[in-house]
Amino acid sequence: MSTFSSGRKAASFISLIAGIVLIIVGLGLSIAGTGNVYRGTMFVCGIILFFVGLYLFPTLKHHRSIINIIFLFPLLFAFIVTVIIPLILGIGYSFTDWNGITMKGFVGFSNYTRMFKQPAFLWSILLTFLFVVFNMILVNLIAFLLALLCTSKIKGLGFFRAAYFLPNLIGGIVLGYIWQFIFSNVVTKFTGTYSMLSDTNTAFIAIIIVYIWQYAGYIMLIYITGLNTIPGDVLEASSIDGANKLQTLFNIKLPMIAPTITICTFLTLTSAFKQFDVNLALTNGKGSVQFLGSYIANGTEMLALNIYSTAVINNEYALGQAKAVLFFIILAIVSIAQVRISNKREVEL
Amino acid sequence: MKKKLMSVLLAGTMVASLAACGSTATDTTTSDTNTNTETTTTETQTSDAGTTSGTQEAVRLLNGKPEINDQMQALAAKYLEETGNTLIVETIGGDTNASDELKKMYQADNMPDIFVIEANQAANWDGMLADLAGEEWTDKTGFELVDSSMGTIGFPYTVEATALGYNADLLAKAGVDPASLTSPDAWKTAVETLDSKKDELGITAVFGWCAEPTNLGWSSGTHVFAQYLDAGLKADDTTYIDLLNDGGQIDEARMKNFAEFIGMMNEYSDPALLIDGTYDNQVAGFKEGKYVFITQGNWCVTSPEDVDFECGFAPYAFEDGINTIIAGPPSYWVAYSNGNVDGAKAFFNWCAGDSAQNILVNDAGLVSPFDDCQYEAVNPFYKSMNSYITAGNYSGWHTMLKKDGLQNETCNVFADYAKGKLDADGFVSTMKQVISAYYAQ
Repeated sequence: MSTFSSGRKAASFISLIAGIVLIIVGLGLSIAGTGNVYRGTMFVCGIILFFVGLYLFPTLKHHRSIINIIFLFPLLFAFIVTVIIPLILGIGYSFTDWNGITMKGFVGFSNYTRMFKQPAFLWSILLTFLFVVFNMILVNLIAFLLALLCTSKIKGLGFFRAAYFLPNLIGGIVLGYIWQFIFSNVVTKFTGTYSMLSDTNTAFIAIIIVYIWQYAGYIMLIYITGLNTIPGDVLEASSIDGANKLQTLFNIKLPMIAPTITICTFLTLTSAFKQFDVNLALTNGKGSVQFLGSYIANGTEMLALNIYSTAVINNEYALGQAKAVLFFIILAIVSIAQVRISNKREVEL
Repeated sequence: MKKKLMSVLLAGTMVASLAACGSTATDTTTSDTNTNTETTTTETQTSDAGTTSGTQEAVRLLNGKPEINDQMQALAAKYLEETGNTLIVETIGGDTNASDELKKMYQADNMPDIFVIEANQAANWDGMLADLAGEEWTDKTGFELVDSSMGTIGFPYTVEATALGYNADLLAKAGVDPASLTSPDAWKTAVETLDSKKDELGITAVFGWCAEPTNLGWSSGTHVFAQYLDAGLKADDTTYIDLLNDGGQIDEARMKNFAEFIGMMNEYSDPALLIDGTYDNQVAGFKEGKYVFITQGNWCVTSPEDVDFECGFAPYAFEDGINTIIAGPPSYWVAYSNGNVDGAKAFFNWCAGDSAQNILVNDAGLVSPFDDCQYEAVNPFYKSMNSYITAGNYSGWHTMLKKDGLQNETCNVFADYAKGKLDADGFVSTMKQVISAYYAQ
């Protein structure tokens, strides 16, 4: 018992108690909305005092874990404030009738039932899945072909790699406007018909084209890294055995970069699901289509954009939030599957 | 000992960094009580000087018209000079919608004292807008926004008109009298005449009408659709908007006539503009004299230097005897009731006065909604617009009272009709279905 002086004990307990009191008062002032200028200072000083008290806490057994907590605290605090609390609040908002300004009350699950009764929303889900499937296949295929090209012995390799990667560095909104100009002012000059963007089906193809243009270069870089890691002796051995180029490709190269293919597939999968900026700038979701017996005006609107326009354009923040919760669940399932499969592969190899 | 010293030092740094974060956090929380430190968007250079000398606390105004930002800054400078009070103008520009930005500002407890709303957004702010009834300026205008529960809430800062804007010189050359265009038959004859004289007049098409939905959905879905709601009605007649807001009903006979008229516009439009065009192409084509008519309002040509011909408005006469254009304030300035209401009221009274109107009318090219304003707007459409207003032949902007976001649905129906995917009957039935489905949601 004599390890700690009574002065230290007193300092610890006083700091702890004063810290807790200051935190509570600071929070209380904020929640009550008094507009007191010192409420933030109080809160921060309270936290600091609390940790000083914790640091001085008279224990030898738990001292190490206390230090760990103190060091972890800033990160955990930031994570909780920026991720966990908004997530919980968001789920909470999806059960209300919040319109972005006022909230009158809780409405239970009615937002969730309502969103599945909207043909436009169901169409958005369907369209997003279609988009994901098309992109997963096309982006990977084109990126892989580009990677093969950029690992061969052509001249100006550095230029090609940079050129293919460059579109990825341009923001989606800018890309959308550039391609909008190309589709409605340049392409039409050659085809002599209406712009691809004016019809739902062709506008959907247009979005896929732009997306591939933007994303294939990035995936290509990952494939190039994969192809470069194939050991030279394996390739040499296969050529001595008389394998031609196609045989080398299908029997040596592809199996050797299987983990890269998994990574790229999931990268395209998740990013295609979250497609928003090109969609917004290129078509803004416009386009008509007949679906489930009704005329739908947002023929090219994908899930993320549908959530945005529900909340922001139509002032239905709570409904948009409910859709976002569903979106979160879909993405969580995809990501968990991705991690599981990737881990399994790594064990196998 | 060394280790301990190290750990104390590290812990100290951590706490200090936390305190540093904390102190900035307190800064942001306190700054909302002191509006002068705000630097969100463009701000007047006068705001620093005005804080101490002003007799009243500064007033923040959120302007939704980026094209008049410079003039608004001049207005703020004049306000400071004449009254000693500070006005801070923040402009929401480009594609950012003022109402979206306002919601963020509201959540962040960073509301301006005066902001811009469209009439149908008033309900969203229920109970948060100050009642301006009895203010001096309300006696000088008939255009203020009155809400049934909140009273007089909106200050009209401009009057805008929309109908079919025409190039009077081209009409004169073709021998068409715009005053005669008050029936579908008269329109048909006139349009056919103009179309037959295309080469002679040097025009590309009769109508500069664009139904492209992605960027110009607001034009077809709100402004052209407005003609179905209001054309031919007196300013206070709300027959069709009431019908629409009663669960999304439409008058099919009227919509059919409207559809026929739009069909004529589709037929005699520049096909390149009709489906793929942009606002810039449309307005540029009209200014160059490529189109006789344009489906915009007085905002598309604001300065007399832009055009070398006379401009005017003709009504969308899709039924016999329609002789009105739509005129009124499309949006209003309102005062936030938890903000500096007295400052806002003082500004409104000053703004209705002579020196402010001078800037707004002569420099910004707006049309004054105030009866005693001595300045004649420079807008090339003003003469025609004024003749309709003084004769009482103007309808209201009731299209702004439709359910928010409806224009994003209906603009696609206009686009499909323009592409020929729908005929006039298909237009009516699809319109009916789309509108009722949107209201049912």
